[in-house]
Amino acid sequence: MSELIPPFDWVTFLTEPWSAWYRDTTVRIVAMAFCVSAACGLTGVYLILRRLALMGDAISHSVLPGIALAALLSGTLTGPPILLGAIGAGLLTTWLIDAIHRHSRVKPDAATGIVFSALFALGVAMVTQYGGDLHLDAECVLFGNLAEVATQPGIPPALIQAAAVLVATALLIGAFYKELLVGAFDPTLASSMGIPARWVHHGLMAWLSVVVVTAFEAVGSIIVVAMLIIPGATALLLTDRLWKALLLTVLHAALSSVLGFHLGLWLDGNLPAAMVVAGLALFVLAWLASPTQGLLGRWMARWRLREELERGRAGR
Amino acid sequence: MSDPLPALEVHDLTVAYHKKPVLWGIDFQVPAGKLVGVVGPNGAGKSTLIKAAMGLLPLSSGWVQAFGAPLRDQRHRVGYVPQREEIDWDFPVNVMDVVLMGRYGKLGWLKRPGRRDREIARACLEKVRMLPYADRQISNLSGGQQQRVFLARALAQESDLYFMDEPFAGVDAATEEAIIGLLRELCREGRTVLVVHHDLASVPDYFDWLVLLNLRLVGCGPTTEMFTPAMLSKTYGGQLTVMTEVAQALAKNEALARETRH
Amino acid sequence: MIPCSIGDQTLSHRSSRLRRVLPTVLACLPLLWPAAAEAARIQDVVEAGVLEQAWRFLSLRDPSVRLALAGCVLLGLCCGLLGTFIVVRQYALVGDTLAHAVLPGIALGYVWTLSKSPLHLFVGAVLAGLLGTVVVSLIRDTTRLKRDTALGVVLGGFYGVGILLVTLIQRLPGDKSGVKSFLFGSAAALSESDVLLIAGVAAVSLLLLGLLFPHFRVASFDPTFATSIGIPAQAMHYLLMLLLAWAVVSALQAVGVVMVSALLVIPAATAWLLTDRLHVMAALAMGIGMAAGAAGAFLSALKTGLPTGPFVVLSAAALFSAAFFFAPRKGLVSRVLSKSRQSRRIRRENTLKAIYHLLEEGGFADETVTRQALVERRRRPVAEVDREIAALVAHGLAEPVSADGRVRLTPPGRARAAEIVRNHRLWELFLTHAADIAPDHVHDDAEKIEHVLGEDIVRKLERALDQPTEDPHGKHIPLAQTHP
Repeated sequence: MSELIPPFDWVTFLTEPWSAWYRDTTVRIVAMAFCVSAACGLTGVYLILRRLALMGDAISHSVLPGIALAALLSGTLTGPPILLGAIGAGLLTTWLIDAIHRHSRVKPDAATGIVFSALFALGVAMVTQYGGDLHLDAECVLFGNLAEVATQPGIPPALIQAAAVLVATALLIGAFYKELLVGAFDPTLASSMGIPARWVHHGLMAWLSVVVVTAFEAVGSIIVVAMLIIPGATALLLTDRLWKALLLTVLHAALSSVLGFHLGLWLDGNLPAAMVVAGLALFVLAWLASPTQGLLGRWMARWRLREELERGRAGR
Repeated sequence: MSDPLPALEVHDLTVAYHKKPVLWGIDFQVPAGKLVGVVGPNGAGKSTLIKAAMGLLPLSSGWVQAFGAPLRDQRHRVGYVPQREEIDWDFPVNVMDVVLMGRYGKLGWLKRPGRRDREIARACLEKVRMLPYADRQISNLSGGQQQRVFLARALAQESDLYFMDEPFAGVDAATEEAIIGLLRELCREGRTVLVVHHDLASVPDYFDWLVLLNLRLVGCGPTTEMFTPAMLSKTYGGQLTVMTEVAQALAKNEALARETRH
Repeated sequence: MIPCSIGDQTLSHRSSRLRRVLPTVLACLPLLWPAAAEAARIQDVVEAGVLEQAWRFLSLRDPSVRLALAGCVLLGLCCGLLGTFIVVRQYALVGDTLAHAVLPGIALGYVWTLSKSPLHLFVGAVLAGLLGTVVVSLIRDTTRLKRDTALGVVLGGFYGVGILLVTLIQRLPGDKSGVKSFLFGSAAALSESDVLLIAGVAAVSLLLLGLLFPHFRVASFDPTFATSIGIPAQAMHYLLMLLLAWAVVSALQAVGVVMVSALLVIPAATAWLLTDRLHVMAALAMGIGMAAGAAGAFLSALKTGLPTGPFVVLSAAALFSAAFFFAPRKGLVSRVLSKSRQSRRIRRENTLKAIYHLLEEGGFADETVTRQALVERRRRPVAEVDREIAALVAHGLAEPVSADGRVRLTPPGRARAAEIVRNHRLWELFLTHAADIAPDHVHDDAEKIEHVLGEDIVRKLERALDQPTEDPHGKHIPLAQTHP
């Protein structure tokens, strides 16, 4: 066990990474993690509100064959072809799920399970067969390769893409705030006002594919699910206003990136996974201490009630 | 103020849900400025009627016009209060956010609600006496208060034609009184309100116009003419099981079901 | 929508069902024994051609091949059975979450002994899986977050913890070769004890679900009712989750964490397309799971280093597509065919009706109609009307009288034509009289409904309308089966 957890050293794991010597590497990795995690988290808030968390799981898996195909055809692993491949795979997923549950008795959840696992399996088969030439292997799919941004000279293109996607996510949410809000809260009112619900849904799914594919290379395809859902879920435990939840999501992304970075450094483990662990810890903290839904508050209230009852009984 | 054109005209409206027709050949007109009750037994298609009238469901046949123009062009003149069960009350919005949603239809894309919209929203909340609760999350309200908030949202829509799906369900007597007072006021201003309603006892007190519905239109007209034992027994009398059976037979036929859907 | 019928609620079926299924398991077990001999791993063998590998697999002469095959087949059986309940209860995401949530347990189980001891991995994984299930219900009960979000948090969070632990373990000394294959699975690396574990889990699942099948059926269909008649639905839910956790864990070596959920969902969903009965569905799901397992093991054996999981899933998905398109009655193809059959019938009936109208206009003085009259009546091109007449003749509903296209209805044709016209006019009358719909709105409805009215509905309409003889437009309503 002692071999598993290295001794903790304040200087090596907390201050040194930010010293002049390592700062560049640290900033790059943390910035990449933050961009990915915040973009995922912001998109994820709308998945949670629309009860589409399952779609986050599904699309994060099913973009793989799209990526693999686009990479095989274009020979690169970044840029527009990959984004297009991912959007195509994402929309194919939504369409297939819809077609299966419309034309048979299979329910949406099972249809989702069938479609994404089949597409993911196809992607893994493609990657193991042809991935060697593309720096795309099963390892990358599972673990991601966050540290890669640190080794590239100049400003790494992956970081630029992630930052651009984060900014675009924020701008899209700003521009369509009210349409997204009313569409998630009261779809009937939205349609009666002429907001096209179908297009909003497909747009959200297409954007989800973009976000997922951007995160994919850095954190792997399954860690993405955690980054989609955990920040938003934490934020929604702490507030009951949407815009505050969005801000808290970004805060969660920032905190879990920094904390996860240090955790990963200390334990010498997979960085994205360490970030998820940090994010999960923040979720648990929020769950315990939330002012309205917190477990602690609940237990306190129950304890106080029991005290009072006993005092009442004793008094009588 | 009152419009010479009918506020709502429905012509030969047939609607199918999952290939099964649930409304057959509905024809009626509602003059402007009326408080209209949509009344009929369970499963008569009341909610379907107002959803179809708002253009939210594909029609198998027929058309709907508001103020003499297709509904699609009159969206900004139509307001809506949903059934309470359709709402996720845990949603992270407060009372003010919900009422402001009523303004969204007037704003268009890429615009945010401004100060004037906020003023209108506050005024509407004041009207339903919910202004002190403006900052509350909606799950922390009683059933009656929640209904008032949605009424305030409808008021904020400043529409000429309102559709309300059972606004009195799960509401205390005081709120019911307050809501009906507001609806009457709306009608006095020349607006038209269609209310899906369940409680037959209060029908003659509340509404001045009735739409009696049971899979097909039983009657439409002033309450005094429609609220008669003969009309009611025709509405609630059943004996239309044949229509349901035919609808089922129709749903089973792939070739025809496809046609009815479009 | 859970396939369930009152007819076989009886408990007496239980033992016979068990007797039917048990031989399958027993038949698979002997595959294991020869494996006790020094097992060569598939990948140990020098690179060989695809055909050679295929032959090596099909001949089953290699013990490791037998192990891989037995493992995958038994796994398909077990997952198909459990998946049946997952699918009908709409728990697909639960299976997926459980499959990911076991990862930290496996890693800790490994750290426990620093070896791939199946028992320790098993215990760790089952504990982690159950913890995940409990956390999901706790989140749902104490917060505003919905079920899907709770599942997402547990799936992603637990998996993150697991991956972190796995990467930590990579630094440790000891045999850790297998840890990564837990992610995508490698049937070729299945050891004898792995297969025994799978067989054990399959046997326990079969036994429990077989014995308690009626109870599970009612608990899945209507948990509240089940509780009210004394069946502990809650406990059975957790029993199912426990079996599920076992199945997931036993499946890891063969198909991997990521693919287990697919093995749970796809065979059962495929079976659901093929039957309406829960026990048939369970049996079919087991068969489909076994087929997918065998096919996946075979495909991944064709080339060295291919993961098994994806190929099992792809085989299962291929079976699902086949069922989706070609299932008798429910399949897309058979529905398209039946639709085109129905449209052809409707076209024939419309021609019959047109002939009837022509005869009616002539006061039934003449028994024949000309092609030209039909062309005018139907407002269709001559060629199409010719085809329609030919179809009527082929079905024995009409017969040609002369070469220039004059036709006469046969007695069955006359009866059917009268029926259609009667249906049309009856329905119009019903809509206008009983339903108070304006007479000018009723024709279009009746054009469709005339084709679907069965005899019992017609009787009811006639009774409701008091045996009418005239439709709203004043036309005579013919009696069925007789010529007016």
